[in-house]
Parts: sequence; C-alpha cells; structure tokens
Amino acid sequence: MGVQNLKPKALLFDSTRCIGCGACYDACKEKNKLPQTAVNFLRDDLSADALTVVNRRNNRYIRRMCMNCEEPTCVSVCPVAALTKSPEGPVSYDASKCMGCRYCMQACPFNIPQYEWDNPITPRVRKCDMCRDRVTAGLQTACASVCPTGATKFGGREELIEEARTRIRNNPGRYVDHVYGVTEVGGTSVLLLADVSFETLGYRTDLLQEPLPQLTWNVLHKLPKIVGVGGVLMSGIWWITKRRDEVQRAEREERLRGKHQ
Amino acid sequence: MSKINFRFPKITFWRVILFVILTAGFYATVLRFTKGLSATTNLSARFPWGIWIGFDVMCGVALAAGGFTVSAVVYIFHIEKYHPIIRPAILTAFLGYLLVCVGLVFDLGRPYNIWHPLIMWNPHSVMFEVGWCVTLYSTVLALEFSPLVLEKLRWRRPLKIVKGATVPLVILGVLLSTMHQSSLGTLYLIVPHKLHALWYSPLLPVFFFISAIALGCAMTIFESYLSLRAFRKGIEFELLNKLGLVAAVALFVYLVLKVFDMDGRGVLGLAIQPTYEGRMFMAEMLLGVIGPIVMLLIPRVRNNQFGLFVAALMVVLGFVMNRINVAITGMDRSSGVNYFPSWTELAVTASIVAAGFLLFGLAVKYLDVFSRDEMDNITRGKRSELPVLAAFRQPLWSATTLALLIGLVFMGATVALSYDGVRRRVPAPEPAAENGDVNISAALGELRVPGDVAIKMGESSPGLVIFSHARHVATAKPNCNGCHSSQFRMLSSSADISPGKKMQRCGQCHDGIKAISTTNKELCDSCHTRH
Repeated sequence: MGVQNLKPKALLFDSTRCIGCGACYDACKEKNKLPQTAVNFLRDDLSADALTVVNRRNNRYIRRMCMNCEEPTCVSVCPVAALTKSPEGPVSYDASKCMGCRYCMQACPFNIPQYEWDNPITPRVRKCDMCRDRVTAGLQTACASVCPTGATKFGGREELIEEARTRIRNNPGRYVDHVYGVTEVGGTSVLLLADVSFETLGYRTDLLQEPLPQLTWNVLHKLPKIVGVGGVLMSGIWWITKRRDEVQRAEREERLRGKHQ
Repeated sequence: MSKINFRFPKITFWRVILFVILTAGFYATVLRFTKGLSATTNLSARFPWGIWIGFDVMCGVALAAGGFTVSAVVYIFHIEKYHPIIRPAILTAFLGYLLVCVGLVFDLGRPYNIWHPLIMWNPHSVMFEVGWCVTLYSTVLALEFSPLVLEKLRWRRPLKIVKGATVPLVILGVLLSTMHQSSLGTLYLIVPHKLHALWYSPLLPVFFFISAIALGCAMTIFESYLSLRAFRKGIEFELLNKLGLVAAVALFVYLVLKVFDMDGRGVLGLAIQPTYEGRMFMAEMLLGVIGPIVMLLIPRVRNNQFGLFVAALMVVLGFVMNRINVAITGMDRSSGVNYFPSWTELAVTASIVAAGFLLFGLAVKYLDVFSRDEMDNITRGKRSELPVLAAFRQPLWSATTLALLIGLVFMGATVALSYDGVRRRVPAPEPAAENGDVNISAALGELRVPGDVAIKMGESSPGLVIFSHARHVATAKPNCNGCHSSQFRMLSSSADISPGKKMQRCGQCHDGIKAISTTNKELCDSCHTRH
C-alpha cells in the first residue's frame, strides 16, 4: 500500500502473443461470479454477463473490454456520479446511485457499457472495472494473473507504455508502430499492440485524440454566466417596458386632464 | 327532483381510437414494469436511447416552447394583447413536461432514483443539467399553472402569493426553458464518433436553441388557431401574423447558420447524396425549414388563417423530425443495428400523448383555461350533452383532423423522399461478424459447425495454421464424430465450459489416450511455444 499503489496502473494487451485460450475470459467470469453466456467463448460478445471477450479478427485473437479511459466519457456524463475513476486507473460503477439513464452507454466511444435489459426493477450497467478491489489491494487484475503467454500484462501505465515501445523497437517489422491507448480519447488504461492495423482488428482508429468530456464542458462551464446575464437582461427588459407603459399611461392621463381644464 | 342519470358514453370515432391506444399502452406498461426493457423495447447496448428519449423527452420539452414564448412576450415585454392565449400556452407546456416526466419513468432503468441528481451532483454532466432543468421548470410551470386550480378552490392567500411571484417565475421559466432546449443539443456533443456528420456539429446547442424560438412562435400560432376555431374568437390575427414573421426570421437564421456550419465542416455534399441520412436530412430541411420560410414570406399565405396555420404546423413537424433525426436517424449507421421502435414503445408514447389530450380536455372543462365569457358562449347552447371532451371535441374536430391529415402528408412525403434511400441502404457491416466466428448471437443461431480454428505456433514455426471446419465437413449436416469423439458435446450446447471446469473442457479429449494429456506439462510445449 501507499504511494506506490497510487501510481496509475494499466493493462497491456499484445495481440501477437495471444493464443485465444480464453483463460482471461474464464478468470473474469470467475472473479465477477458471472454465468455462462456462450457455447463457444470465442463467439461471445460483450453483455451484462460477459465483461471481457476474446474474439477472432483478421486471423488474430483480440480482447474487448472496458478501456478504463484516463478521462472517461462515462464518468463525465453520469448525472449522479455513479461512475468514478480511481487514481489507480479503474473506472467503477456504483449501482445504488444509478438512475438508469444509460447516457454512459450512449456516450462511450468504445461502446463498452452493457445493461441488464431483462431486469424490470433494478437493472445495472455492467462493465469491466479493471478489478478495482484487486488493484487497490495491490494485486493484478484477474485476467492478467492467469494469462499463460503474457499477452495481457498488468503494470504501471508509464512502465507499460515504455515496455510496449521497447517491444516495437526490439522486434522490427513485427508490430504496427503504434501503441493504441496512449493518446486515443486522451489516453486509456488498456494499451494495445498488434501486428496489423488496429482497424482490421475491430478497434476504432478514427477517435479524437483528446478527452471527449471537454466537448460538453466547453459549453457547460459557460452556463452560470449565461444564466446571470440572461436573468439581468430579462429583468432589465421587464423593468424598461413596465416603466414605458407607466409613463405612457401617466402622459395619457395628463393629456386628458389638460383637455378637461 | 334530481334524477341520477347514468348514460353510457356515446361511442365516437375518436373515443374508440383513444380506448384502443390507452388499452395498448396499459398492456405495454404492465409489460415494461414486470418483464423489463428487453421485453418492451428494441433497445440494445448499441442503441441505448430510442423513441422514448427521441420523441417523448426531446419533443415534450419542445411543447413547452409556446409557454415560455408567450409568457415572455406578455410578462416581460409587456405586450398585453397576447394575454388571452397565455393560459392555454402554459397548460400545453405543463402537459409537455408531464409527457417528459412520464416518458422518463418508462425509459429510466431505475425510475425510483429519478431524484438522485438533486443530491448526487456531477456538474460535468449535461444530463445533470437536464435533470435539474426538468425538475425546476416543471415546478415553475406547476406554479404558473396553479392559479387556475387555486381560483377554482377559492384559496385567496396562496393565489395572491403565486400571482405576486409571477414575474420572477416567468424570468426563471424562460431561462430554464431556453437552457433546457439548448442543453438537449449539448447532450449530443459528446458523441462525435456516433452522430452522423449531417447533424453533429459543435453548434448543436445553438441550433437547438434557435429552432426552439421558431417552434415557440409556431406553437403559439398553432394553439391560438385551435382556440380560435374552438371558441370562434381568439386574439387579433395581426398579432399571429407578426409571430409568423418572427418564426420565419428565426428559421432563416437557422438555415444560414446551418449551411455555413456544414460548409465549414465540409459535409454540405452529404446532404445531396442519395443515402438514407441524406434524404431524411433533405426532408427535414425542405418540409420543416425552407418550406415554412417561403410560405411565411409570401404575404398572401401569411395573411391567410389557413396558410399561417399550415406553415406553423410544418414548423412544428419539422422540429419533431429534426429531434428524431438527431436522436435516432443520425445514430443509426454508427450503431450497426437498425433500430425501429417496437409496437409497445409506440403504444406507450401514443398513450402518453393521448393522456395529454385528455388532460387538456378536462382542464378546459373544469378550469378557466379560456376566459369565462367565451366558455359560457360555447356551453350555453349544448350544456345538456357536455361530455368530457365536448368543450373541444365538436368545434375542434375539424382542426384536429386537419392537423392529423397534414401530419400524415408530412410523414408520407418523408417516406417518399427517403424510400429509395431506405431500399438502397447497405446494412452497416457488422464488425463482429468477420470470419463468421465472433458474433455470438448470430453464431448461436447458425451454430452447426464452429468457425476457423487458428493453431498458432511460436516464432520458430513457419506460420499460423488455420483449420477450416467449413471445408472439412458438410455445413448442412456435419458429422462431428468423424474427428471428435462422441463425448465431444459441442453441438448439444450443454458442453460445460464454466470457469471451474476449465481443464475438463480440454481434458475431455486431451486425456492421454485420445490426445496428449493436459496434465503432462512437458507435452504442452509440443503445441504451445513459450514466448
């Protein structure tokens, strides 16, 4: 515990090392006590009961899971602050606060959050929280702990970025020269390496390179000013038009009185 | 001598329609709160917001535009001539917000937590602001509306307090409502990767705001026209005329800004492309913006009651189209699913709207929405047969039918304009379906043979070995036992792959007899090389 643990942690997934064994998939299910969701785990898709999946794309195995963004869109859009980013990296969810507006799902650039659509009364948003309990306790994530080939590796974010760059440097021609997640939407806690373009593996490559929450905050932070100015302006108009009517009425009366005299 | 006279309500066309809608809505409501959203909606993780947000919330808020426009004109700008329509306008706004709140109760996963934004703050969230706006403005509208009830109850003191607070309430209401209109646009600023470029713009809040002003004028014309027809008396036509001009100017500003914005982003060309989105966009702009501008600028049309009413109606419908395009059409392509509301979603929406009409009718009957003299004129002749909706059934019948007909024409024109686009629309490529072995829902449906299996080796290996099931067995009637032992239970879908049984899954075959054993660690290396 201590300062050491507060350093942001991350996961590095190297798809060239993945053999598609599904150990991470199983470990995630075990850790989160999730039921079976697929006959063939390679065909499974993210759902309320599958928080990470291993899929085959372009003859490689890839993992899909919450990217646990550095500046998470879901955290910024949640009206009740049910989603929080902890200093260690995980983005986690508090169901007791949630009112179920699903703005997090709408806003997530990676389409990660899932929903318990079948639950009529207490549905939860479901997503990988990077094993927040384990990570804050100084352990690595369940998926990283069982990976037999080291395709999923847990560590400090800075160190992992460095390691990813070293792997690219030391194996010329093996990797695409890009560590996915260093700058995508302002950076993520899940970093990816691949030997073919990320697009063919199903990862979006057209994402903005800056944090999305800025897009709405640019407008929202102006609101207090707009309200203040608008309020004063309208009160002013109200006063002026009222005064104008009063003056007109007084003048009319004066004129009438003048005629009578 | 009083005789209790219970008469079965007369069966009329509109009552039958109302009954059918409300029955369907009741069924859908029961379904929603017992079986959940999956049983009632076509929503999914890829399309989490449907028509309940796109129509009920976005357009319910819009209904209030008439309320804040008229109350600002009367109370803040002191243009007293508009006073006669202030009550119906506020009533409509109040009902609009009721539509929003009821819609939210259906849409929110945990509606009982709807009050949470009041104590659990996140000022960075647009939804947080929207939540506060809905709460505050509903309260303001309720207060603005309360004199009608208080008058009936003859509660003098509260009435005096509320009336005294009218101006601050109106200022607060105008601020909240305009903020709310634009913040519904801000809501979509966070999805630059999902909303189609024809609608996504950094100026979304501005567009939402300007179109709300045009809508406010149009709603006022619309409401006045209805009251005009219902009570053969309304406000001076010349005033509505001017409002029509204001609407035209607002729409023109909207149009110019829109064109410049789209040109600046280089997406002007998208509008004329024969895509689904392009056609929907053109329909929205032609029918809801350019059409009304032209109509309102022609004096002969503007000075004609019917012409003005049609133009106003077109503005309203164009507005609705715009909101639905932003919420649904524009999100369609990136989502990869073709969302269309289920009948239960439509039934709930229709029921809420129908309930709104019903409440409007009841309010008109029991409260002094329109001034007393006018009401007396109306009811004197046929008091004996005044049913719930009589006050606005008979004279309004033609106007309502007219509104519906124009709405139908509008929808028809839209469909006609976008029909080609719909047909030609290429289904968005499902990334998950690549190689046929990833999309679980598709795969489960056609699970006959598994997809390709990659046998990946280490760096010393000449390369990846892909075993294609499809090439080795007949996909229509696969004989799995040719290669796999009969204990291999892939097809029975009962294969136990739960986490605890991890080794059993491989171990079923890798038992040292059928294939190399999983327990012999040294033999693992014969297939899996270590990095």
